[in-house]
Amino acid sequence: MEKSYTEKIQIHKDNKLAALYPSTKLLVVCLYIVCTFIIGTVHVTSVGLSLLLIPWFIAVPVLCIASGAFRKCIKALKAVAVVAAIIIVVQTFLVPGGELLMRFGFITIYEKGLKTAVSLSFMIMNIAGIFVWLFQTTENREIARAMEASGMNYKAAYVFTSTLQMIEILSKNSKTIMNAQKARGVETEGNIFVRAKAFFPSLVPLILGAVISSEERVLTLEARGFSIQGEKTHLFNLEKSGCERKTAAAAIVITVLVLAGRIALWII
Amino acid sequence: MGKKKYSIKEDFSMLAILVIPVGVAVNFVGGQLASLLKLPMYLDTIGTIFAAMLCGPWVGAVTGGLTNIVTGIANPVNFAFIPVNVIAGLVTGFLARKQMFGVWWKWILSMLIMAAVSIISSAPIVVLVYGGVTGGGTSIITAAAMAAGANIWAAFFGTEGIFTVLDRVISFVICWLVIKVIPERTLVKFGCGSNYIKEKK
Repeated sequence: MEKSYTEKIQIHKDNKLAALYPSTKLLVVCLYIVCTFIIGTVHVTSVGLSLLLIPWFIAVPVLCIASGAFRKCIKALKAVAVVAAIIIVVQTFLVPGGELLMRFGFITIYEKGLKTAVSLSFMIMNIAGIFVWLFQTTENREIARAMEASGMNYKAAYVFTSTLQMIEILSKNSKTIMNAQKARGVETEGNIFVRAKAFFPSLVPLILGAVISSEERVLTLEARGFSIQGEKTHLFNLEKSGCERKTAAAAIVITVLVLAGRIALWII
Repeated sequence: MGKKKYSIKEDFSMLAILVIPVGVAVNFVGGQLASLLKLPMYLDTIGTIFAAMLCGPWVGAVTGGLTNIVTGIANPVNFAFIPVNVIAGLVTGFLARKQMFGVWWKWILSMLIMAAVSIISSAPIVVLVYGGVTGGGTSIITAAAMAAGANIWAAFFGTEGIFTVLDRVISFVICWLVIKVIPERTLVKFGCGSNYIKEKK
């Protein structure tokens, strides 16, 4: 049977974990961050490194695989890993302080540097990683719809979705303008001043065009009753996967266990 | 002209709501363009400054915050810098309301204020959250200064300072050029737009 338009725009996911309601996912993310901070305070080895953050990080790829979005996540995780790697290198080798741990030729590793290197980089990996999972398994319009369903003003939800569209439109326009200006003789290669000068003729027409057209969009939206007060109907609706309660309960139990474990370590 | 009264609710007019996405997209494209032209600056606050100059501090703050949320979707490292962009929007907006963009000496003053505020607000985040380096273009210089024994804060302020001032000057000039060519009939519809119209005698 032919699908109608409203059926076509619905999102259906077979994976139970990826299909979780966005607010449940957000709860998982928040609790994960809390756990990360708790685990980050555990110091092992004689130098006091927070090494436990490394096994804890395994949770992120596991979640990604379980949600069936591993490929998509890897790409975003790489960007985070680069930042973390730079932090490790700079902190371990460049920050002096505390005891001298190792020395090979001109390379020296100090206690303080190594400590901050490990805790900072893996803290960032953990927190950024869980956000990667959230955004790679959730589509942007799902987020916007959930924002509206949670009682947020529909104008705020509109700004969010419209922003994402606008970025695409303006990136496309900027390429067109760049090419047009190149054709007219604006140089985009050369020394830094030449390149800096090319920045102006590409950006000014872009902003100007966007502002003028937003004036027209106001008229269009008003004509379609955007600012009318009253009940709104939605073409796109969110469905629950049915595992919301179980997932939320599991997340809370894990957090409590982590907290209990931390307190137990203190007492011992 | 008498003194205008401002309210947050009126700040978010229909036009302002539509300027926010434009501002975010301009931030995004500006940053892209800067890296395409291999400029040693981020230039990713042009949209924030533009929205704040036209529609006041609160719209500017929302534009700034939303920019980092949206770019954070692709790279969550940006989430930590939300306050920097929000503060940049707020400060520019208040400067615009005080009509600090009227005369040339006021421009220089406000550019310096904007640069100072953004360095001061980003320093603690870069140093405390990322330990001084974020992998951006100027990170290498900061790292080199740190290796030479400079204090992490001093290294950051020294290198970032120069480039942030340049960044703000370029961003501001672009916004100014755009505002100058926006027709007056459009300009009056924006919250702070009437500040940029010269009264005809």
